[in-house]
Amino acid sequence: MSTVEQHKVIDSRGSFCPGPITDLFKAYRSAQLGDIIELLATDPAAKADVTAWTQKSGNELLDIVDEQGYIRILIKVTKKRS
Amino acid sequence: MQRVVVVGSGDGGTFTANLLASELRDEIRGGSVSIQLVGEHLHHPFQPGNLDIAFKGASPDKYVKEEPKLLRKGVEFVQDPAARIDFGTKSVTTKSGKVLIYDYLVIATGAVADPSKVPGLAEGAMNFHTGGKDSQRIWESLQNFKGGTVVVAVAGTPHKCPPSPNEAAFMLDEFFHKREMRDKVKIRFLTPYPRPYPAEKISHVVEPLFQEKGIEVTTFFNVDYVDPAARKIYSLEGETFDYDMLIAIPPHHGADVIIQSGIGDQDGYVPTDKGTMKVKGQDCVYAIGDATDIPVSKSGVVAHLQSVVVAHNVISGIHETQDILEYNGRINCPMEVGQRRAIFVSATYTSPPTDQTPSMVKYIMKRSFAMIYWRALNGSLEKVFDVFFGQTRFPVAKQETTEKPLVMVTAPQSGGKQNA
Repeated sequence: MSTVEQHKVIDSRGSFCPGPITDLFKAYRSAQLGDIIELLATDPAAKADVTAWTQKSGNELLDIVDEQGYIRILIKVTKKRS
Repeated sequence: MQRVVVVGSGDGGTFTANLLASELRDEIRGGSVSIQLVGEHLHHPFQPGNLDIAFKGASPDKYVKEEPKLLRKGVEFVQDPAARIDFGTKSVTTKSGKVLIYDYLVIATGAVADPSKVPGLAEGAMNFHTGGKDSQRIWESLQNFKGGTVVVAVAGTPHKCPPSPNEAAFMLDEFFHKREMRDKVKIRFLTPYPRPYPAEKISHVVEPLFQEKGIEVTTFFNVDYVDPAARKIYSLEGETFDYDMLIAIPPHHGADVIIQSGIGDQDGYVPTDKGTMKVKGQDCVYAIGDATDIPVSKSGVVAHLQSVVVAHNVISGIHETQDILEYNGRINCPMEVGQRRAIFVSATYTSPPTDQTPSMVKYIMKRSFAMIYWRALNGSLEKVFDVFFGQTRFPVAKQETTEKPLVMVTAPQSGGKQNA
């Protein structure tokens, strides 16, 4: 079985709660262990929501970057029921 | 002859067709405009009634009327489901093979609650999103329930009526209290969101009430699958809970006709401009309500308010004016929280939900809406709604500058805000 890790960019800019976290979950549902999900959001609540989710679920929060006018959040899928 | 075809005879489609028939009555009478409403079902349900059917034992018949009786003169009801929409030939083909050519098309095909999308959900869970009969199954099961764990789970987002999972938990609490068996029942609420209600201000109301009523909440629970034999529900994140009764909100997707026609996104929702409600890339095609990909609540109120904008814009096109309106994202979702109290989740694209206090007045208003729904569908209550909802629409050119509510020509009208 091929297990090539994927890097998926999810653009939730312009969407407000629960848009970004919902978009993240949609990507998580189709992701495999080791995949990187890059979430772009303008909703400031996305930082706290995604941080809380990674802490609870055991997935890895790689980085949160404040870009010009939006936030870039990088998550590595390290915990998911297979 | 200008031919307007409305596909989908739910709340939004029925209301839009009636608004058009009301505003264009002279043109219809003169033979220069036709309005066709394409729908599958003879019977039109009031979907919020499903909660009362499931948790209060109301009869499904109480919340149904025949579609032709809801339509204004001038609307031709084509009871034949749309099978294909073709933007290229500007046509709608029905299941029986009729081909309807349009000059203006309104897509109001709704969203489909589909338990089959989660393994084990259809077999292991009941729900109140797939119709009155399925809601009645919940009520019947509650009659024989002797105690144990009842799980209310949000198994997919987005779904119709965002407050409905919370309402289900509140109504279950009330039901078991009335039966004097609340101490024999654990109510567990599973949600993928970070809090009991996605919008933080509304969660500030819901969370303490859940605590007070002993409704246990687990957040960040993305349902993976259900094992009906073992009576267990599993999350993608690795958590598992036992249940004796499972009531789940199924994942939703767009209508089959949208998917089959290849005009939707990956979930079958129609890419739509959130202001004008025009389908992206199309000049004379609009979409409303649950059928769209717009990030607002999937609810009847939203469909209703968007219908006013779409009807106005279609009429502007027929009359060749540049008078185009934009919907401002207004939502208004009532939520019962028990003890005859309710709140309204209200917002717009730019104003999130604000603090709320549950009240009996709001409960009565919510209950009243079930009675006025049928009249609301023909547009005769629009003046009342304009006062209640306030501003829900703007002229395109003036959107950044005006704050004054608009009023349409005669019977039909509305304005706008948004929510989560």
